[in-house]
Amino acid sequence: MTVLTGIVGVLALISAIGVVSFRSTIYCALSLVANMVFLAVLFLLLNAQFLAAVQVIIYAGAVMVLFVFIIALLSPGSDDSPRLDLRFLVGLVGVFYVTLQIFFLVGNGTTYDKTAVACDSAQQQQCSLSPLRGGQIGRVSHPEQLSFYPNDVNQAGNVQVVGGQLFTTFLLPFEITSLLLFVAAVGAVYLTRHHVSGSRRE
Amino acid sequence: MSIEVFPWLIGLSAAMFMVGALGVLIRRNPLVVFMSIELMLNAVNLAFVTFGRFLNSQDGQVFAFMVVVVAASEVVVGLALITTVFRSGRDMDVDDLSEMRE
Repeated sequence: MTVLTGIVGVLALISAIGVVSFRSTIYCALSLVANMVFLAVLFLLLNAQFLAAVQVIIYAGAVMVLFVFIIALLSPGSDDSPRLDLRFLVGLVGVFYVTLQIFFLVGNGTTYDKTAVACDSAQQQQCSLSPLRGGQIGRVSHPEQLSFYPNDVNQAGNVQVVGGQLFTTFLLPFEITSLLLFVAAVGAVYLTRHHVSGSRRE
Repeated sequence: MSIEVFPWLIGLSAAMFMVGALGVLIRRNPLVVFMSIELMLNAVNLAFVTFGRFLNSQDGQVFAFMVVVVAASEVVVGLALITTVFRSGRDMDVDDLSEMRE
């Protein structure tokens, strides 16, 4: 399991670098598809089966088809090379600095207990409730919200648990999301129709 | 999955986010800039799911779902903008598209 996580993680990073370094736009899009599929595998390994399916269907299916459609429609020039100037150098230094900072901040053991054995179900004995230190703090204030153990969730079904959360605790954000989708659809129609009617009027 | 992969997954998330930020900085094509933004959103999703998994919480997955929806609507509006700009007959270069500045 850990070996598979490492392999998929390395592949995801390589395809992410491919997105920004390929010269041709269509290669960038295909690299992004590969990155999203690798992330879906990582979600599966992290007990997020529903989100893995959503990732493949919405991102790799709908969003990337839209991207490839626009690339085929507009056929932008393929001579778009990444610029290698001061902005690139500053960005590269920032990439390495911030990534290493976050990696060492998370990995030095202050955010999680390295020796802890995480509980897989509520019945399991001799295990820590959450290996992350923030988990113990959150457990005091909201004990009911941090009690979804992986095996218990798998027993009840991942889709059922996520859907239950979505329609009880997160009902208001869910409804606001539907409003956002509606506004986005109206905005896209307006943006693409406005130009046509404006040119006809002339 | 044991706890020792936790810092590696968060590090992968940070690396993917910063690669996407670098892509926004160095690419000229607005389509590739949008793809880099998608990459950054994906990296944040990975961090959400990883933290949720090791906190024994479902909230990370629910919020990652929200992020997917926001990303989808953002792509719809962004690509509509790109097609509108392209139809007006200009180059696909983010450095030349600066008339909203004045």
